[in-house]
Amino acid sequence: MKIKKIALALAFSPRMQAMMAEAARWAKMYQAKLYLVHVGEKSEEAEEKISQLLQSAQWSANDTTVLWRKGDPTDNILQVCKQEQIDLLIAGALKKENLVQYYLGTPARKILRKASCSVLMLVNPEVDAIPIKNVVVNAEDSPYITEAIRTACEISIKQKANWLHVVREVKMLGLTLASLDDCTEEEYDQQRNSLMQAEIENVEKMLSGIAHEGLRINIKLLSGKSGFELSQFAQKKKAELLVVGASPRRLFFFDRVFPHDLEYIFQDLPCNLLVVHSRARKEATHG
Amino acid sequence: MARLAHADVIQLLVQLGIMLLIGRFFAELIRKLGQPTVIGEILAGILLGPTFLGTINPEWFQLIFPTTGASGLVLSGIVQMSVVMLLFIAGLEVDLHIVLQQGKQAVLTSLTGITIPFAIGFIFPYYFPEFFGIAPGMDQLVFALFMGTAMGITALPVIVRILMDLNLFRTRMGMLVVASAMVDDIIGWMIFSVILGMIGKGSDMPLWNTILLTTGFAVFMLSIGRIVLNKSLPWINKKMAWPGGVLALSLGFCFLAAGFTEYIGIHAIFGAFIMGVALGDSKHFSERAKEIVHQFINNIFAPLFFVSIGLRVNFVSNFDLVLTLIIILIAFAGKIIGSGLGTKLGGFTWQESLAAGFGMNARGAMEIILGLIAFENGLINEKVFVSLVIMALFTSMTSGPLMKWSLARTWKT
Repeated sequence: MKIKKIALALAFSPRMQAMMAEAARWAKMYQAKLYLVHVGEKSEEAEEKISQLLQSAQWSANDTTVLWRKGDPTDNILQVCKQEQIDLLIAGALKKENLVQYYLGTPARKILRKASCSVLMLVNPEVDAIPIKNVVVNAEDSPYITEAIRTACEISIKQKANWLHVVREVKMLGLTLASLDDCTEEEYDQQRNSLMQAEIENVEKMLSGIAHEGLRINIKLLSGKSGFELSQFAQKKKAELLVVGASPRRLFFFDRVFPHDLEYIFQDLPCNLLVVHSRARKEATHG
Repeated sequence: MARLAHADVIQLLVQLGIMLLIGRFFAELIRKLGQPTVIGEILAGILLGPTFLGTINPEWFQLIFPTTGASGLVLSGIVQMSVVMLLFIAGLEVDLHIVLQQGKQAVLTSLTGITIPFAIGFIFPYYFPEFFGIAPGMDQLVFALFMGTAMGITALPVIVRILMDLNLFRTRMGMLVVASAMVDDIIGWMIFSVILGMIGKGSDMPLWNTILLTTGFAVFMLSIGRIVLNKSLPWINKKMAWPGGVLALSLGFCFLAAGFTEYIGIHAIFGAFIMGVALGDSKHFSERAKEIVHQFINNIFAPLFFVSIGLRVNFVSNFDLVLTLIIILIAFAGKIIGSGLGTKLGGFTWQESLAAGFGMNARGAMEIILGLIAFENGLINEKVFVSLVIMALFTSMTSGPLMKWSLARTWKT
């Protein structure tokens, strides 16, 4: 994922200093230009606050563009991302929302569902850098799978992570139905093992084209509802970052009523979440 | 609680033992030939039933499987329970997750895949009801609607098995075919429930009322019911013994839902099916739990059901070659054209679409269950039932080889 422009959706909240510090770290890591998007009145007081935030994050105001917008926060932030061709949008979110908020959709979740660029949703922003020990990446089939794994490898190498866990779903439904009283115990074990082996080989094949020298990689196969199991695994591993590919189609209200894949993760964010959206691929698709 | 007489208990236990043993023996024989075990179980029933044993030695047949008496009644109850459980696992197999992943495409493919076979299956029996063996006094429209539904239904386990064999299960086409088969199943069983309501056995409910109740129950179970189940499962998993807790409770919920739908005038199978869909969709209902429920029902209750098919009807005296051939022809034409077109609309090549059409053509156990319920409700006669069973077996046997053939063949363009 090429990141040249990073935008931070900035709200004057108690977490703003931590959000600014995180954004500055990501911008430094990718040597990217930083955009601060604030939806609200432009005033001297607000400008002063932003200036203080930049100072506390030790980030030069010259390398920063501040964009002021009025109106609906979600629409304005997404519009800025399109206009400025932002590669990565950073925003803050609650780990879990109540039922009404979830179904109606808060700005943070709306951004996750609608953004056309990559999004880093921070649930645990920190003023001081916390070392990333465990990164989990979703290797489920999607148009963004290679990009997601590549990004996870890059970040893990740059952050000197202890482990990169590459998680892929095994469709046990297929095995259960395919082997229904039609094979012996030995044949069932063989089928199960070959299914597992095939999925591991699929992941290894994906990894072979991506630079990951020196990185400790754990390939994990999970069965069940893919997004939910992935989220559970990230929590179990106490991962600091979960990397997933964006949804290949727009998510609607219906997807919240019958959650699947990413919606399971959006329901209850297990840790900081990076949704990878490859601009290059999108442009190619749209001709 | 009323008790069975000593002789009835012995008779019932002998019946169950023979059905399971002979059923398994033939299932294993057929398995060695690389065919679905359901064929062996039905063959076992044909041998034990009026077709073979009842013809060569009627006394023995009456001794083991008497048509009257308490043991026969209890066996009939066990078979009825097996049907309910089979529909429950058919519901568990419906993975809404896969359907939603495929999105609009799955709905489009499945709608084409069910509408065209339904239309073809409806038109011929509607205009030639006598030829298709409409039961006396049966409404022509209801009969034609049933035949349409019978042509539209698919056998998900057979399709999945074929896709796994061909290494296509995880491909885009494989997932689309599986998702479409799942949507077809939901629509098919809903239509069938409405048809059963139209026959009006045991209730005088108007049609609109049946439709409203069927859709209302499905919507309720897949929304509020599903949420309640999803919230209660973590507690069940945490507090109750594994796998006893989840196994007993899931079957308990299944029977309650089946009883409820039977009570409100739509067939018990629909309640069991929708409960299966709602429960199977929960993120807390693990794959392992699904597997246990599957194994338990598929290896004990499914054989009892399939063997019982042969016990009911004489497959020789009720075999009508022309009718069977025409039903097979309609089944092939409807599904291959319908599902093939649906897949083509999904952006696949004609070759892949034809292969998907062959795959979706498998009717399997679901068709047999559908046929049996229609037969029991007086919707079809013995001849149509026999033809439907043969069609279900024939389509299941041929769908894999035909799919393989169509994918391997080089088509001239």
